[in-house]
Amino acid sequence: MSAKRTILVCCDTGCIASGSKAVVTALKEQLALAAAAGVAGAAATDATVEPLVKQTGCHGFCGYGPVVKVMPDDISYYRVKPKDAAAIIESLGGEPVERLLYRDDAGQRVTGREENPFYSSQKKLALRNVGELDPELLDDALSRGVYESLKKALTMTPEEIISQVERSGIRGRGGAGFPAGRKWRIAAGYNNNPKYVILNGDEGDPGAFMDRSMLEGDPHSVLEGVAICAVAVGATDAYLYIRDEYTTALRTMKQAILDAEAAGILGDSVLGSDKQLRVQVVRGGGAFVCGESSAMIASIEGAVGEPRAKYIRSTQEGLWGQPTVLNNVETFINIPLIIANGGDWYAQTGTDKSKGTKVFALVGKIKRSGLIEVPMGTTLREIIFDIGGGIPGNRRFKAIQTGGPSGGCLPDSLLDVPVDFDTLLEYGSMMGSGGMIVMDERTCMVETARYYVEFLARECCGKCVPCREGLRWLLDILTRICEGEGEFADLEILEGICETMTLASRCALGKTAANPVITTLRYFHDEYEEHITHKRCPAGVCRMGVAP
Amino acid sequence: MTVNLMIDGLACEAAPGQHVLDVARQNGVEIPTLCHHEALAGQACCRLCVVEIEEASGSRDVVVSCTYPAKEGLKVSTNSEQVRRLRRTVLTLLAERAPLAEGALPAYCQEYGVTGYDLRFTVDKDEKCILCGLCTKACAELGNSAIETTLRGVDKQVAPPFDEPPAACIGCASCAEVCPTGAIACEDADGVRTIWEKEFELLRCEACGKPFATAEELAWLKERLLDTELNLAYCPSCRGKMSLKDLT
Amino acid sequence: MILAQEKLTELLQAYPPERQHTLAVFQDIQKECGYLPKEHIVAAADYLKVPLSQAYAMATFYHTFSLTPRGKHVIKVCDGTACHIKDSKGVLQSLERLLGVGLGGTDADGLFTIETVACLGCCALAPAMQIGEEYYGNLTDEIIAEVIADYRRREAGEVVA
Repeated sequence: MSAKRTILVCCDTGCIASGSKAVVTALKEQLALAAAAGVAGAAATDATVEPLVKQTGCHGFCGYGPVVKVMPDDISYYRVKPKDAAAIIESLGGEPVERLLYRDDAGQRVTGREENPFYSSQKKLALRNVGELDPELLDDALSRGVYESLKKALTMTPEEIISQVERSGIRGRGGAGFPAGRKWRIAAGYNNNPKYVILNGDEGDPGAFMDRSMLEGDPHSVLEGVAICAVAVGATDAYLYIRDEYTTALRTMKQAILDAEAAGILGDSVLGSDKQLRVQVVRGGGAFVCGESSAMIASIEGAVGEPRAKYIRSTQEGLWGQPTVLNNVETFINIPLIIANGGDWYAQTGTDKSKGTKVFALVGKIKRSGLIEVPMGTTLREIIFDIGGGIPGNRRFKAIQTGGPSGGCLPDSLLDVPVDFDTLLEYGSMMGSGGMIVMDERTCMVETARYYVEFLARECCGKCVPCREGLRWLLDILTRICEGEGEFADLEILEGICETMTLASRCALGKTAANPVITTLRYFHDEYEEHITHKRCPAGVCRMGVAP
Repeated sequence: MTVNLMIDGLACEAAPGQHVLDVARQNGVEIPTLCHHEALAGQACCRLCVVEIEEASGSRDVVVSCTYPAKEGLKVSTNSEQVRRLRRTVLTLLAERAPLAEGALPAYCQEYGVTGYDLRFTVDKDEKCILCGLCTKACAELGNSAIETTLRGVDKQVAPPFDEPPAACIGCASCAEVCPTGAIACEDADGVRTIWEKEFELLRCEACGKPFATAEELAWLKERLLDTELNLAYCPSCRGKMSLKDLT
Repeated sequence: MILAQEKLTELLQAYPPERQHTLAVFQDIQKECGYLPKEHIVAAADYLKVPLSQAYAMATFYHTFSLTPRGKHVIKVCDGTACHIKDSKGVLQSLERLLGVGLGGTDADGLFTIETVACLGCCALAPAMQIGEEYYGNLTDEIIAEVIADYRRREAGEVVA
C-alpha cells in the first residue's frame, strides 16, 4: 500500500515573514493542476493517495525558511519560493528536488533531518509535535496522542500525578528553575478553594521565541499540560497569559480552547469525568515585568503589573488571594510526556540537577539560527558550533548571552561548560526562558550591557529604589562610557549599585537586573578600559566623537 | 502564641507573622525607614530598612524588615557593615533623585555619611519626591483615589489622571500629611485650601471656630458614614473633648 | 477616532463590569480607535468601577497603549537583542528618512506611526519589523523602501478606487 504523502509547510511567524503563505498557495495550486492533468508524481495518479498540504508550526530552522517537509519520505526543503512548488509536486515519489536541499558543512546535499547538522544532535521532547501537525486541527493533535496523558491522569490520584512530576525532576522553564513538582505539591496541600492555574506565555525577553513557537505549533499539548496540573492541584480555572503582540499564538490558543471544549475535553466535565476546567486567555499589556509571577497575578486581577512586597509564595496566596500554580509554556508542554512515560523515564535525560531537555532560540551572529531543543548539560560549544555551525564571515566568537535581560554574557573560555540551571548561575548568567544570542568580535560588550540596562530601565515597574534609581544611574554611566566620556571612578560606582540592586531590590527582575553589567565587567573588563582610557571601541560599534 | 527571635543579639518575642521592623522597634532597636507608615504598612519601596537574616535552617539572606515576618529561631542583624553599605547606596541614589527632599532623608544622609553627591545623576534639582508611594496609598485608603503612580520604570511619577487637577480629589490632604519629604504642596490660606492645583473652601468647626476640613471631604464622609453618630460640624479635636464630656 | 456611544456601550458590555477586564477593554478600545481616547478611558473606568486614577495608571503602565492618535499603519521596529546586534538602529533610521518622522511620530499623511517593540519573536530573521499583523524580516534599506512604497501604492489605489 502506498502511503499518503503529506507536505508540511512551516507557517510559524518566522517562516510567514519569509513568505511561506505564498508557498502554501502555490503548492495547492500546483497540486490541483497536477491532479487535473493526472501527472502529480507516481503516487498522485491514485486519488486515494492525493498528497495533502498542511500548515504547521515551527520547524526550527528559521534562518533557512520557508521550510517544507515531505512526509513520510522525510525530505526537507529550505528557502522555498512559490516558483519551486511545481518542482516539489512533480518530484513526489521520485528523486528529491536537489537545489532545495540543505548543503551540510562539507558541501553535501542532505535530504533528511537526521543528516542535517542543525537537527542531528537535537532531542525533541517539548517540541515533539511542533512542525509535525496542523495546530488548527484538533484531529491532528488527537492522531498524535495528545490528551492521552490527560486521560491517564484522570485515572490517577493527585498524589500519583504529583509524585511522577517530582520524580521527573523537571524544573520551571520560566527562568528561576523552581522544581515544578514541589510547586504543585505545595498548592495541592492547601484546602481553600478555588485554586488557579496560570500559564505564563508573556515571553517578554528580547531575543526569545520558544514559548511562541509552542503556543502556535502545538496548542493542544500545552492545554493538556495545564489540564493535568489543574487535576493534580484541584484547580477549576486556568488563565493563559499571552503577549498581545503574539497575534497568531493568541488566535491559535483561543481556537484550541473552543475545539477542546466542543469535544468535551475541557469545560464542565473534563473528558467525561467529574472534574471541570474553565480556561481563559488573558492578553498581556506589553510589560516585561509581568513575567514575574506576582506582577502577572496583579495584571490578571486588573491592576498595574507591580510585583508584590509580601514574602509569600503565590502557591499559598496567589490570584485573588487563592492558591495558584504558575508555570511557563515549556514546563506545561513537557508534563504530558512525564505522565505518559513516567517521571523516571524523563529523568534519564539531562544532568544530575537539571532534568530533561531545554528549548533555546539560537540567534545572533550565527550561521544556522533557529529554534533548537537539546538535553540539559549540552555544552555551549556543541550548541554554537555543532548545531549552529559557528560564526558567519570567518569572524571570531566573542560572547554568548543567555537568560535575556536577567542573564549575562559568557566568553569563549566558558564554551565547554554544560548548559544547566546551576552552572549558568554559577558563572553569573542564568537559564532564563531560553534565549541564546551569539555575539562576534563586532559586537561591543559595553554597548550590549547598555542595551539591556536601557531595556530594563523602561521595563521595570519603577516601584523600588535600588532597581529604579539604580538602573537610571547604570544607564547614565554606561551611555557616558559608550560616548567616550567615561571615567575609571565610574566603574566603582557601577559595582556598588550592582551590589545594592542584587541584594536589596524587591523582585526577581530587580535582583537580576544588574547581571548584564556584572558579567560584562567580569569577563570583558578590557573593553571597558579601552573605552575609558583610549576612547576607543574595539568592536567599532560606539561612536566616540574622537577618531580612534 | 509567640515566636522567639534574636535581633542584634537581643532575644525578642513576637506574634507569628509580625514584621521584623515592628518587633525591632518594640524592643528599642531603630531601623531607618522612609516609606513606612504604621497606618499604611507594607510599602517596601525605599528598601532602606534592609537587614541581614539567618533562618533557623541556617540559610542566610538580605531582606527588608518592614515586610519580613518574624519566625521562630530567626537571627536578624540590623546594622552590619554590609547593611550599612547597602543603605549608603540607597541614600545616595535617593539624595540625588530628590535633592530638595525634607525631613528624614537628609537626616539619614548625614547619619550615614552620604554627602557631596555627584550631581551628574540629578534629573531635576528642585525634586522632592522619592516615590515612596505613601501618598497614593493614603489617597486610596483614606481619600477618594484621586492620585496614582503613573507611567513605569525610570519615568514613574505620582500624578492625577491626565496630569489635570483631579476631579475625584476631596482636598483631605492625607497625601500631603503622610509625605515624608514635603513633596506635595498643600496651602491653607484665607479659608481656602490649595492642593493638586485645585481650590477648596475650608469649613470652620462650630465649637472652636478653626478651619478643619473641606466641604467636599465632609460630604464624602457623610456619604460613607450614613449611620454614624459623629457630628461632622465639629473638628476631630472638639469631637474628642465632647465625647469625653459625655462619658464623664 | 472616537467611538459612537452605542458602539462604546456594546464594546464595554461584552465584559462584566469588573476590574479584571480593564486590560481587555482597553485593548478592544485601542483596536477600534488606534489609541485610547481620554473620554473612553473615563467611560471604561466608570463602567468597570475602577477609580479613574487607577485606570489611567494602567493606561500609562502598559506600553501596548497609546494615549495619542496614531497613523493608519503602526510600524513596530523590533529592538530585541538579535535585531539590536544586527543593526535595528539602521532600520529605524531608514524608516525615519523614508517617512520624514522620528520614533513615536506619525507621518504627514497620517499613514504610518513608527514605534519600537521589545521583541517580535522572529529573531532568526533579524532585523525585523511588524506592520499591522504582517511581519518583515532580514531587512535592508532596499527591502524597507520597497515595503513602504508598496503600502503607499495600495493606499493610493484605495483612494482612487
